Amino acid sequence: MASRREFLQIGVAALALPISARAGLSPANSAAAGESAQTPLYKVIFDERFATSRAFAGEVKRLGASVYGIKGDITDLWFNDLDARWRKEPVAIAGLTEHGALFCLERLAWDHGMRVVYRADHTYRADGYMEHELSGSEVMLREAVNLSSSGADWSSRVASLLTRCPAVRAQASKLTVVTPAAKQAGDPEHLVSWVIAPVGAARKFSRS
Amino acid sequence: MKVPPGVSASDFAEAIKQFEEAVGKEWVFTSDEDVAMYRDAYSPFMGEPEERVASAAVAPDGMEQVQKVVRIANRYKIPIYPVSTGKNLGYGGSAPVLSGSVVLDLKRMNRILEVNEANAYALVEPGVSYFDLYRYIQEKGLKLWVDVPDPGWGSPIGNALDRGGGYLMPQYRNHFDSHCGMEVVLANGEVLRTGMGALPGAQTWQQYKSGFGPWIDGMFSQSNFGVVTKMGFWLMPEPDAYLSGTVVVPRHDDLIPLVRILTYLEDTRVTNGMPDLGSPLLGIPMLSDFATRFESGGTPFERPLDPELSDLIAKGGGLATSALDGYAQRKGLGYWSCKLSFYGASKANAANWEFAREKFSEIPGVRFEEGENYKLPLTPEQREKVHKPQFGIPSLAMFSIGARSAMNPEPASGHMWFSPIIPRTGEAIFEANRVFAQAAKEFGLPFLSFNLPSTYWERAFIFIFAFPVTRDVEFNKRNRAAFNKLIQVAAEHGWGEYRTAPAFQDAIMNTYSYNNHALLHFHETVKDAIDPNGILSAGRYGIWPKHVREAKS
Repeated sequence: MASRREFLQIGVAALALPISARAGLSPANSAAAGESAQTPLYKVIFDERFATSRAFAGEVKRLGASVYGIKGDITDLWFNDLDARWRKEPVAIAGLTEHGALFCLERLAWDHGMRVVYRADHTYRADGYMEHELSGSEVMLREAVNLSSSGADWSSRVASLLTRCPAVRAQASKLTVVTPAAKQAGDPEHLVSWVIAPVGAARKFSRS
Repeated sequence: MKVPPGVSASDFAEAIKQFEEAVGKEWVFTSDEDVAMYRDAYSPFMGEPEERVASAAVAPDGMEQVQKVVRIANRYKIPIYPVSTGKNLGYGGSAPVLSGSVVLDLKRMNRILEVNEANAYALVEPGVSYFDLYRYIQEKGLKLWVDVPDPGWGSPIGNALDRGGGYLMPQYRNHFDSHCGMEVVLANGEVLRTGMGALPGAQTWQQYKSGFGPWIDGMFSQSNFGVVTKMGFWLMPEPDAYLSGTVVVPRHDDLIPLVRILTYLEDTRVTNGMPDLGSPLLGIPMLSDFATRFESGGTPFERPLDPELSDLIAKGGGLATSALDGYAQRKGLGYWSCKLSFYGASKANAANWEFAREKFSEIPGVRFEEGENYKLPLTPEQREKVHKPQFGIPSLAMFSIGARSAMNPEPASGHMWFSPIIPRTGEAIFEANRVFAQAAKEFGLPFLSFNLPSTYWERAFIFIFAFPVTRDVEFNKRNRAAFNKLIQVAAEHGWGEYRTAPAFQDAIMNTYSYNNHALLHFHETVKDAIDPNGILSAGRYGIWPKHVREAKS
């Protein structure tokens, strides 16, 4: 059984002021993400093999963003789509995938002047809870607190969160949220949600 | 900003300013965020002060800019570390061997200078990736295949210089062997071309390897004697067809004739694809079975055994017992299997497979399974089913291996490879397993009960053991210590590693010690002569410049 303390843990503030020092942790303040300009997402990536990721994609589509399904491997996505797109101009993508897909996309994105601007590691625990370790701008993390009331439907909240990622890059903070979550059959123990977006000053190696 | 060792802050600042003048201010990276991109994602020193990190990075756009950078580095004695695409994960990535070096990032030099279909070769720059070359060939509709490693996001030049390998015919599978001619910027800024490239106006730079006089190309692989800025590669003309078939033998000791006959067939080019060894009995998958394993939610690292079989192995004290042979026979499982591949004319493939079956028929109880028979190019449906690198198609699929296991406790954190070369015999496979199993037990390593070697190279086998890298510093320390002990154990048995991560390059070079380290002394003599300030890739593959050697002693 998770304790109250575990239920909503505030992690380390890596680079910014501690979130807990501000009054912005209640859902009432979460409209902040919606008030600022949002990062336009070129594609949102999901893993067709996992029920949770499929549910996430359904919600993303409902919210009006374009989705792309993979089965673990990002080769076709990158070779037949992103490579050409990013050579023209860097555009943001997001996803709920296993770590391997993010690992590859992050490194490929670096050379086009992009960075992971938001990341959350979602890990099922043996006690029926899920640990969400989030890293991103404070605005995103304030919004992410809504995960605590999402229950089993956490992937829909993630969809909402990613599609509302602020366009302005801020210093990264960290936050850990523990929520009840029933593991879907076939889901891996660990999924990652993320946003990769252009960063103004970052180097670009692409040659179109 | 970190400053390279032995360099004053003012000299470094001046060098950075001159680098900016040479390549453009936007192509010199000194911010923490940019420099962090050059960290080794799989560093076995993750979270420890010993992690090798860069001080800055410089990205030239051509050979002339490389010359300028090298001359500036010489002027201020700045250690620089060239990388092509920096994707050789498990072997150091783009992090320098000597911490504080400036990474010379050659990624902008990504021009495909020539692809010749009739003579099946390419001339490329270091920043060209396998994907880039593959895309170029596809877009031009050329009937050529590129031999790609797994994964395929690296650079043909970088992979060849690190002596990596692929999956096609033997003359292409060894990527350094398949190169033909290179252009090299030396530490003093002078540029030379090897082979026929030394002849002004040469028309056969990518057609005849050795030119005239000493053939020095090997000196620029796994070394630090120059910066390779162009390199030619022989490509494989698209074959007419592909055929595979599997040989299955019933008993433990059958591995010896299986390997002997396989070697004969390879050396006579009867079979010309990469052979694929496995054990149906012990659950050791062939490479071609990996996809099925993943689809069923497993990994090649897991070998769930029938309890009866586990019991027999435990009671029998090993794998070479009549009880195990009997179990395999009763269950209809082969003890060993080997998938053969044939690239060539459809009729020739069939005839070669028939001849191979004849040769293997000397093993009592052998049986044969027919495999794929594809007219090339592959249809889209066929393409979905195959292990793509075996058809010259680059892929990143191996990064979707994410499941945790005892061998892979933190899939997100990486690995390092221990990869000794052993003789190409069945007896050597048994002996290496005996030795490494004993060592693994002694050092507390989670090695599997039995391993089969990889067959990338002709004439010799490579054993490849993955050591996981985790976020647990103590775990990594124990594994590094065990890795170093295994290097010694292998060397005591006459087995040396073919390639390794920077953390172990000194230790492995030390085992190549015939006649009081005569080979290393030769490397050092060359290094001191052509790079007296020791600016290029200090420490790479155990070759240190004089001033560092003197400081160490």
